[in-house]
Amino acid sequence: MKILTPNKVDSFFQLLTQKWDVRLPIVLTDGTRVISSLGDGSIALHGGAVSSKPTAAFFPQHSSVFISVNGLIQEQTTPGLPIFVLGFTDRDLECLRFIDRFFANGLRDDIYFTLRSNAVVAGISGYCGVNGALLQPSSGNCDLEFFWDGCRWLIIPYSGAGNEIVADLPDSAPPEAIEAFKKASTALPDENEKILRQASELLRADRVPDSFWSEIGDRCISCTGCNLACPTCTCFGVQDWRSSKTIERSRMWDSCQLDGFMREASGHNPLGTEALRTRRRIHHKLAADPEKWGDISCFLCGRCDKACPTGIGILAVAKELVARFA
Amino acid sequence: MKRTLTVCPYCGTGCTFYLVSDNGRLVGVEPSTTHPVSRGGLCIKGWNAFAFVHHPDRLTTPLIRRDGLLQAASWDDALNLVVEKLKGLQKNYGTDAVMFASSAKATNEENYLLMKLARAVFSTNNIDHCARLCHSSTVTGLAETFGSGAMTNSISCFDQTDLILVIGSNTTEQHPLIGSRILNAVRSGTQLIVADNRRIRLARQADLHLRHKNGSDVALLHGIMHVIIAEDLAEEKFISSRTENYAALTESVAEWTPERAATITGLEATEIIAAARLFASAERAMIVYSMGITQHSHGVDNVRCIASLAMLTGNVGRPGTGVNPLRGQNNVQGGCDMGALPDLYSGYQKVSDPQLREKFASSWGLKSLPATPGLPLTRAMNAATEGQLKAMFIMGENPVISDPDQRHAVATLQNLELLVVQDIFLTETAALADIVLPAACYAEKDGTFTSTERRIQRLQKAVEPPGEARADWEIICRIAERAGYPGMRYSTTSEIMEEIATLTPIYGGINHERLDPHGLQWPCPDIDHPGTPLLHVDGFTRGLGRFSPVDHRLSAEQTDEAYPFVLTTGRTYFHWHTGSMTRRTHLLNREEPHSFIELHPDDAATLGVRNRDELLVSSRRGRLKTQARVTEMVIPGVVFMPFHFAEGAANTLTNNVLDPESSIPEFKVCAVQVEKLP
Repeated sequence: MKILTPNKVDSFFQLLTQKWDVRLPIVLTDGTRVISSLGDGSIALHGGAVSSKPTAAFFPQHSSVFISVNGLIQEQTTPGLPIFVLGFTDRDLECLRFIDRFFANGLRDDIYFTLRSNAVVAGISGYCGVNGALLQPSSGNCDLEFFWDGCRWLIIPYSGAGNEIVADLPDSAPPEAIEAFKKASTALPDENEKILRQASELLRADRVPDSFWSEIGDRCISCTGCNLACPTCTCFGVQDWRSSKTIERSRMWDSCQLDGFMREASGHNPLGTEALRTRRRIHHKLAADPEKWGDISCFLCGRCDKACPTGIGILAVAKELVARFA
Repeated sequence: MKRTLTVCPYCGTGCTFYLVSDNGRLVGVEPSTTHPVSRGGLCIKGWNAFAFVHHPDRLTTPLIRRDGLLQAASWDDALNLVVEKLKGLQKNYGTDAVMFASSAKATNEENYLLMKLARAVFSTNNIDHCARLCHSSTVTGLAETFGSGAMTNSISCFDQTDLILVIGSNTTEQHPLIGSRILNAVRSGTQLIVADNRRIRLARQADLHLRHKNGSDVALLHGIMHVIIAEDLAEEKFISSRTENYAALTESVAEWTPERAATITGLEATEIIAAARLFASAERAMIVYSMGITQHSHGVDNVRCIASLAMLTGNVGRPGTGVNPLRGQNNVQGGCDMGALPDLYSGYQKVSDPQLREKFASSWGLKSLPATPGLPLTRAMNAATEGQLKAMFIMGENPVISDPDQRHAVATLQNLELLVVQDIFLTETAALADIVLPAACYAEKDGTFTSTERRIQRLQKAVEPPGEARADWEIICRIAERAGYPGMRYSTTSEIMEEIATLTPIYGGINHERLDPHGLQWPCPDIDHPGTPLLHVDGFTRGLGRFSPVDHRLSAEQTDEAYPFVLTTGRTYFHWHTGSMTRRTHLLNREEPHSFIELHPDDAATLGVRNRDELLVSSRRGRLKTQARVTEMVIPGVVFMPFHFAEGAANTLTNNVLDPESSIPEFKVCAVQVEKLP
């Protein structure tokens, strides 16, 4: 366990930029906290999960697939420095684990792993949540973890790369700090998790009527924010931009809340209403994914609930569903 | 990676977000979590607002038509030619032979500068912009009744109201982050009346959905006011202390019994009575309206009735009340504020007032300015058809797709001796131009936009424009310079805002630094003023609110045997106006890839039409092919088409008849025939 005192935070990350493309929680000009590069705002490690999904470091909203010039596919430029990204809460790390497995499954997604393969992922935990609330430590599924004990950052490396990054930091964590970390690591009961599991069971038992989804669907304005904010959503659309000599193929985040997502070539759509699409979104996370992957693919990061302008993020819907049908 | 806080370029809600860029290319959007309007959310257009910016169709160099073809040219050649031709035509035909069309997509600074270019450099008041096509009825109607043609309240008021009347606004589709507030308010117990014969999303949540006939708003509102007065539900104290001309209103609605209103609107009298009682019983009621009210040959009368209803029930000047016209474009409020209007300087100062002319002339270093109001955009098109107008300089507008009666619009533009178009893509209008000037888009420049709630916010440059494209303000300044005018030299857009503030009392306290991070709402008369979320709190801008009675008039074109359907036009959720940006955004264009017409199942059955059949739709102006969308969204006898699509362009069919006062076209009502293609 290493120590990073608050007065050394800036210089530590600054030094890292020599070898890494450093991304970490920063606060932007209007107070929005995101994961971004040093220099894009002040470092803001405190305040809980950032608003934007940290998995976007490896699966950005828009990325190039290939460029063809005069009919010849151009080699993709070599990526720059490998990515170091800090800011994954324990829930975000679960999301990352889920999509790592998804993108590696079957036809491995080269574009994702171009960014992901050599990256270092750092978790964040401790008493650095909103107003000093505890963020639960991870299960160690990252390269290293930054734990705020109330006075300083304790850094726990889990991988070789993680060890290398903090090698020069002092490792004289006082016993009370280590004790604080151990105590925080004890799993806390989470009422929301219970609700999500109940909702999952209700869906899998087919106990939610269509009329419920019509009500929820009527409140969906198809903004797609739930999908775009979700760290476990992996769907993307593909576009080609053509000019006289070049074709630029790229991909961008897509959304199952959109009519065109499932529309058939004939124009018919098996998911042609907001009700069916909303049902599918929730069903996919809470009922289909558990069967396919063994996990509910919502880890309660809370981003869809914050991004949804009409209050039908996954937890809000799960609560409503449990209240009415459990 | 870089994140740049800026304002959404689509509707007038005024959401802000961060543009995410990497090595000079935009790669995404992140919502602002602290913004008082968007609060961490966006609509689908906002989430995808980065996606058209680097499209290969972007204009990258000036173009001059040579041998019938638009060919690449240097900035020097293009700008010299613009000035030479404009000046030449003015010399031969008079200064008012040219027209400048500004843009609600451009910044406040750019609208101000184009207004200044027209008036100070080319000595004409022929300057207008697309507010003429959307809310000119509001500007006229509310200026007369309240003294200020803007949204009286703030978007936060939707969280503080007891009842919302939405009339002629498909809010969840056209102002999604306002529509979502309405949906949330309803879930918290706010009552909702929707008056719109389309079964829009809000109607599904409404306590009362009034599906009155197109063009019958005056009859409906008269009927409602009749009931309120007859049942003694009017707010007498407010009327006596804050308003004038009430007796004239009572007289004008006296004969509008709910039964009479029912015969015109197609509603039951009981529905009108219920709406009146519900509305009048609310402690705080907001009225929300948009194009369904304004785009009629009696649009100003519609607005007058709405103002009267609000005053009649005392719903002005308090939180959770007010007359709330939702401005369509990101900066249509600002375009009006900046005086891109033929009769007004910035801040709604009349060009006909000698003292104001002197103020502007003096500031701009001139001896005098033209005194006669110029031509509204729609009347300028007619003047060009008749040969009185010889040249148009169009910045960021696409009248070939957006103006009524497309055949007329195209013929008009082709009839000009000079057409200059400054835009980001080669739009259908730019394709007809003699000279095309490539402009930077919203992500490539600085400035300010003013949202529908009068919130002035900063637009910030995230990436460089493509090729030789330049910001509109830079191009305008270079034109002024070449025309020999030395008074338009600015190194930044904040310098332009400083000038605006000195000349424009409602923007007197605005400078760019003060606008960080979430802007200020005008009026903001001095540097210490915190901005004004609510208008007309202690008194109306004009003093007393004025009841302006109106007579009921039918829409200009009625259905008949040859053209038995009422066509009403509008927008879809996924596209923006003429589609130059959204149709180049993959996800948005995938959602609505082509023109369509909504048709009620009963009408479809009569015509033997099934969903997605190809139809021929014709009016007295033209005909088009489009695809059937059979839906109960519309009522029998009414069809709806969006106007975004160049192929199957709804404005091939619409009627170029104008409101006599606001000169707004009647986009919402014309008569068409619908036939199934074999």
